[in-house]
Amino acid sequence: MATVAPETAALRKPRGRRIGWAFLAPAFLAIAIVAIYPLIYTVVVSFSESSLGRPFAEWVGFDNFAKVLSDGVTVPSLGRSLVFAIPSALLALVIGFVIALSLDVAVRSGKVVRVVFLLPLMTPPVMAGVIWKLMFAPTGGLFNNVLQLVSPGADPILFLGSSPAAMVSIVVVDVWQWVPFCVLLLFAALQTLPGEVFEAAQVDGAGVWRTFRHVTFPLVLPTLVTVLMLKLIVSFKVFDLVFIMTGGGPGLDTTVSSFNIYRTALQQFDVGAAAAQTIVFLVLVTIVIVPLSSYRTRLQKAGE
Amino acid sequence: MSTTIERGPAGSADAATTRAMTVPDGQPPRARRASSASRIGRAPRGIVVLKWAVIAIAIGFTLLPILYLVTMSFKSPDDILSTRILPSRIAWENWASAFEQAPVLVYLRNSLIAAAIAAVVALAVAIPANFAMARLRTGGSRSMALIVSAYVAPPIVAVIPLFMLVRTAGLMDNVIGLGLIEGLMVTPVAVWLLDGFFRGIPEEIDEAAQIDGCGPVRTLVRIVLPLVAPGVVAVAIIAFILVYNDFLIPLMLTQSTASQTLPVGIALMQGGREVMFGQMAAASLTGMIPVYLLALFLQRWLVGGLTQGSIK
Repeated sequence: MATVAPETAALRKPRGRRIGWAFLAPAFLAIAIVAIYPLIYTVVVSFSESSLGRPFAEWVGFDNFAKVLSDGVTVPSLGRSLVFAIPSALLALVIGFVIALSLDVAVRSGKVVRVVFLLPLMTPPVMAGVIWKLMFAPTGGLFNNVLQLVSPGADPILFLGSSPAAMVSIVVVDVWQWVPFCVLLLFAALQTLPGEVFEAAQVDGAGVWRTFRHVTFPLVLPTLVTVLMLKLIVSFKVFDLVFIMTGGGPGLDTTVSSFNIYRTALQQFDVGAAAAQTIVFLVLVTIVIVPLSSYRTRLQKAGE
Repeated sequence: MSTTIERGPAGSADAATTRAMTVPDGQPPRARRASSASRIGRAPRGIVVLKWAVIAIAIGFTLLPILYLVTMSFKSPDDILSTRILPSRIAWENWASAFEQAPVLVYLRNSLIAAAIAAVVALAVAIPANFAMARLRTGGSRSMALIVSAYVAPPIVAVIPLFMLVRTAGLMDNVIGLGLIEGLMVTPVAVWLLDGFFRGIPEEIDEAAQIDGCGPVRTLVRIVLPLVAPGVVAVAIIAFILVYNDFLIPLMLTQSTASQTLPVGIALMQGGREVMFGQMAAASLTGMIPVYLLALFLQRWLVGGLTQGSIK
């Protein structure tokens, strides 16, 4: 946060305070509606027997939690959320970083390259799911067509219908969508690095690798951590791709937490159990994001 | 990213005289000290070739699925089952049937309306909040943390409670209700992205306004808002796209064609038994064109908005 000169802060205080809170009120109301109320509702509902039609039919204590933790579906779905989120975030970050590091040679054709790289990010995830589902299709899909050309008569690969190919396929699609996001943020960060440091490194005779290892990487590390955190947050939200591409299958192989919660609430109509699953999921997300977030804060403090 | 303009003798062998000047291109001022241009000349040849190879592969990987979808939308069922890459004839009927058999245009209209309402709502809520936090120093970093943390939780968390709320409020299956809720949902992102723009204004500006007797409201409207206009445009586009592309919330809050958005419509289309690849491709492309046009024409703002706000 920027520092305020004490006298200007004092100058602002008397009138600024009240109107300031008035300006903030709508935002707090928004948060109350879309975050605080849902959280409280979810906690309360998780202790009840509830359906969409009849919420709060009966109080059941911790029964929902006991049920979902032992149902053999919820805990694996949490694991799948991790199995999806961590590789998809890391892959998008690493690939995005490699591209961002390469992009300086193309600054002159920047505009064209930039528009191209924006496209996957702009594609509605549902449409991205449709595109790749068509590409992965056993008959008529691009990849199996190529396979037929290479070895005619080979059995088609069931990209979305076999394990672990289905999960890998969804990760590929997600990476396709989100690499541009990482490129964008990392390239912007690379552009802000002070040129003098690189000149100094060159004067010292540091090669490409050593310059990267000892100059570039430490300088962009805070941004890398930020982008990783953002991408992880986004990855935990994945729902659309699963819904479109696999419907959670084959079996339950791609049933990540969001999809499992959706199924429980809207296909099994058990809102109480879905709420309990939601809370367990939130705990998982918090456990992953909070340490990363505090590491990020520490890095940024160290950088200042 | 910035555009480089070569100054001095073109093609000069002396890298020092060919001083490359970087011109900000919808970029925050601190991105201006771009050093990449001066680095190019000295990088070993092998590295430059390697970098171009990376870019070429990345562009190929990026464009392949989109181009594939375009060819699919023009393929007849026979072509789709054959292994040919390009259609043997242009099957316009895919496009015709996408528009005739599915209410693609209605879906598209709903998507555009909901996204536009949401962008307006998000900005109307976020701008005063950002002004209060960045310029009036109200609320401090804790308000910011509270608002932004609302975005961290996966939306599935809010879906059922919001479903109940929207049903009680009588806004179920209503495009305006959907736009309103989506607007509130993207407000945290808007606040977070706008923060950098609001904090970028020099301190002296609002002091001068205060000395001239401007109250907070006038300072915001007359002085601060024009200065953060690029940020507002950027965030409006981003909020629009986030809502336009969203699936889970409209899936929950809409039930009929009258209010379903394009992603929901397409998801339902492919749920049917008879999946028509070509028709799906045409419908999907129709939904992608509006956001691609935004990317094409407004990319400067988009990139500026994404990078200014989030890299801090």
